[in-house]
Amino acid sequence: MKRLTAHINKLFETLPETEQTKIVREEIIRDLEEKVADLIEEGKSEEDAINKVIVEFGDIEEIRQEMDLPDSNHRKSELARLNLGFSLWGSGLIIALFVFINFYYTPHVVWFIYPAFAVAWWPLSMFYHLHRKKLEGRE
Amino acid sequence: MITTSDRVIEEMGGSPIRSDILRGHLDSIILRLLKDEDSYGYALSKKISHRTGGRFEIKEATLYAVFQRLEKKQLIESYYGARSHGGKRKYYRITTLGKAYLYEMVREWQEVKEIVDLFMEEIDE
Repeated sequence: MKRLTAHINKLFETLPETEQTKIVREEIIRDLEEKVADLIEEGKSEEDAINKVIVEFGDIEEIRQEMDLPDSNHRKSELARLNLGFSLWGSGLIIALFVFINFYYTPHVVWFIYPAFAVAWWPLSMFYHLHRKKLEGRE
Repeated sequence: MITTSDRVIEEMGGSPIRSDILRGHLDSIILRLLKDEDSYGYALSKKISHRTGGRFEIKEATLYAVFQRLEKKQLIESYYGARSHGGKRKYYRITTLGKAYLYEMVREWQEVKEIVDLFMEEIDE
């Protein structure tokens, strides 16, 4: 029976661990254990019974599709959006600081544009990252 | 719903009796069985293979996918039954909405059957 539980646990590893998947997993293990017990009663050895049950189980993908599991791609693009937002605010503040220093101490020489360009790489790379995640999600 | 079953159909294959046509009616079959009495997964799958004389055996993965789908649509609901064999068992019962849906499905099936029969029964041997 341990082998059966281990097999089902392994199948469920591909699904995210939520309250819902946990309940379904428990339910399935209980039912399959009963099926194994029935098969043993019919005269099968425990090993044969477990093999048969595992083979007849089918594709876990069917269950996954019916569950409202959080879409990992969607979540990644949410995170990428957060990264972009943070980088925009962060670089905005840094550039503002450069502008301030520039015009406060050396009002006759405009040099803030150089560090501003360097800092702009940050939000730019985050924007690229977000765009890429979106494309990946569409596939 | 249509997209889901389409996707599932693509992944099918194997023995002809587990074919797409039957698959499209699994929801109705499970609802019909639950209309008689509340039941749990394994009991239902036993009942199905028993009633069909072993010609149709539902795979567990398919069965629990059906449960998920029906519960999501509130056509069935689950509850925990009395303890047996050292644990609580999850039972399913059909809801009022489920019954209404089942009657609608039965009516539709009758109609589909008549239409298909019109074409399938007039083939000369």
